Amino acid sequence: MRLLEDAAKEALRSAGIDVPRAAVVADARAAALAAEALVGAGGRVAVKALVAAGRRGKAGAVVVCRAAECEASAAGMLNAQFEGQPIARLYIEEAVDIASELYASFAFGPLVPRLVVSRFGGVDIEAVAHEQPEAIVMRDIDPIDGLRTWQAAAAWEAAGLPSAQVPKLAELTVKLYRAFCASDGLMLELNPIAITGEGEPRVVGTMLEVDDNALHRHPGWEELAQATAGPGGRPLTAGERAVAVANRTFPGGATRYTELDGDIGLLVSGGGASLYQHDLILEYGGRPANHTDFSPTPTPDKHVAVLDAIFVRPDVRGLLVGCNYLQLARCDLIVEALAISLRKHGIDPRHFPIVIRLFGPNEAQARAIADGFPGIDYMPRGTTLAQACQAIVEAVRALPEGAPRSGQR
Amino acid sequence: MSILIDETTRVVVQGATGNQARFDMKFCLEYGTRIVAGVTPGRGGETVEGVPIFNTVEAAVRATGANASAIYVPARGVSDAILEALDSGIGMMLSLAENVPRHDAARMVAAVRRAGAHLVGFNTNGIISPGKSKMGGIGGDRANDIYAPGRIGVCSRSGGMSAEICLSLTEDGLGASTCVSMGGDPLVGMRLVEVLRMFEADPETDATVIYGEPGGTHELEVAQALRAGELRKPVIALVVGSFQENYPQGASFGHVAAMISDADDTATAKRRMLSQAGVRVAKTVDEIPGLLREALRD
Repeated sequence: MRLLEDAAKEALRSAGIDVPRAAVVADARAAALAAEALVGAGGRVAVKALVAAGRRGKAGAVVVCRAAECEASAAGMLNAQFEGQPIARLYIEEAVDIASELYASFAFGPLVPRLVVSRFGGVDIEAVAHEQPEAIVMRDIDPIDGLRTWQAAAAWEAAGLPSAQVPKLAELTVKLYRAFCASDGLMLELNPIAITGEGEPRVVGTMLEVDDNALHRHPGWEELAQATAGPGGRPLTAGERAVAVANRTFPGGATRYTELDGDIGLLVSGGGASLYQHDLILEYGGRPANHTDFSPTPTPDKHVAVLDAIFVRPDVRGLLVGCNYLQLARCDLIVEALAISLRKHGIDPRHFPIVIRLFGPNEAQARAIADGFPGIDYMPRGTTLAQACQAIVEAVRALPEGAPRSGQR
Repeated sequence: MSILIDETTRVVVQGATGNQARFDMKFCLEYGTRIVAGVTPGRGGETVEGVPIFNTVEAAVRATGANASAIYVPARGVSDAILEALDSGIGMMLSLAENVPRHDAARMVAAVRRAGAHLVGFNTNGIISPGKSKMGGIGGDRANDIYAPGRIGVCSRSGGMSAEICLSLTEDGLGASTCVSMGGDPLVGMRLVEVLRMFEADPETDATVIYGEPGGTHELEVAQALRAGELRKPVIALVVGSFQENYPQGASFGHVAAMISDADDTATAKRRMLSQAGVRVAKTVDEIPGLLREALRD
């Protein structure tokens, strides 16, 4: 989960880092008052859209102006759109006197955290890496020993910083690494770190992505995590929200559900097999209506939530229930969920193709439940996941062209 | 032979009195795994499935000579459990915990590597050397149906897909020397290339099958090792998840590891780099036995 700038900067502040003073406001008048309180009428502030997106500067969502001009700047920005999101709140921050700009970030390599620094800040770091790879310095950090001051100093020196600037930067970098650890960061990017006219380093741009698996250590952020979004940051659909609620409410492994444009519903399990089956449906010319990744659960509720979300969509014309050869979970619980949802929505599998590839514990009971619904194709033992994907694609293709969905009984 | 575990491996189960541990222990014991001890603080003196329970790993090791640990302790306690196992001289660990915070994972993996030990996981369903031993839930009570003994090394980023792959080997009359479900998390104890190096050194493994996904650099490291000539045995790869490239960036599907961060770690890029390094890349599980037979003929 990516934190908004106010929460990210607060995380740095609580690690003892001097970040620019700021206020969060929701209207232009409050913006003007905050600006004056921060820097006085003649001072300068940065007016920043408080949205969960990077690269705001390039997109005009950051404006530096005099406090006296802040109301107009804020009014222009509020309620505008930024990458499809409305701008409802602004971050008003004292402007930093910037003589030069640097870059630093922390993220994870394959095994350990990794520090990246560059003497080119305030710009797209990917572009720097592409054009001047020698200007990017990367150092692995031992997660047990942490980052030592001299290691940070060596990195900045290698990045070509003048000797006089290195000690203070190294000290700041060590504090930033501590903040990265203390906040359970997956990625902390400081772009830019300003060198002021007096030669002091100061954090200006901050992006912090934190680990959803560590939210129990950060109770204040847990509620922010509820506002998760679909692919590309689009808002969740009604079906996706319903599955997310079911996922939190009922016991058992995590269930993910994302709606897409196609017509073949997927109830597929396992992080790996769900990717595999999705690839194959496309390979055989089908179009998935959703992506799912579910772990079998002790009650049918989560599966029912996914199936309900699929069956209410008028554009969906068929369903694949496809799982790895189950080693522990019970097949009958999954087919029981299917029976519940089929009955609820009056779906008739004779007109709405359903292919099941599900082997393992309690398979006989699962087959008996499926037998109660003529038209379900519960594939025989030995059928591969690939064959099941092919079967559902062909069954949906064989439906009468352009005919209205005749699935309802 | 096999890698990481065999019929001589003496297993202690940490968190042995929990439901999942009891369930898996029963099937592991039936399979023939030498589970010699369990550990749950405060429950020393009890037995689970006939296995004696100790309060600490140290006491379990002293009494039973355990040299491997199946760790059922969930994410919030797993750091302590791993350190305790290391402190007692355990050299091979399996951690089934899901949702381990990344910083904890990095510290634990670093500690394991400093000690020269091996950690399979996090978020693994287990490891099996067919006919010899298994640790974790892998195979459930049907391990013999899915995992036949043989001379193919299998390493998979997905537990479910390891079962599909090994089932295809079993049905074709091939079989596995060892199958490692390395764990689906972004930061796990062993790199895929490290597992392949072990298979390279195992005289009873003739070829390997790997299963990969978008995200991370496991597959890139394998391609580099092949180019450098460090791996000489044939490798067959199945890399899935190319559909993600059709959807907006930042969408998360499947394993947390399967998140696209840049163009080079897509499934398509991985298939290409593996293929260029001499790997036979399968499009489906169904093709794997045929590709293996072709590779072994050459």
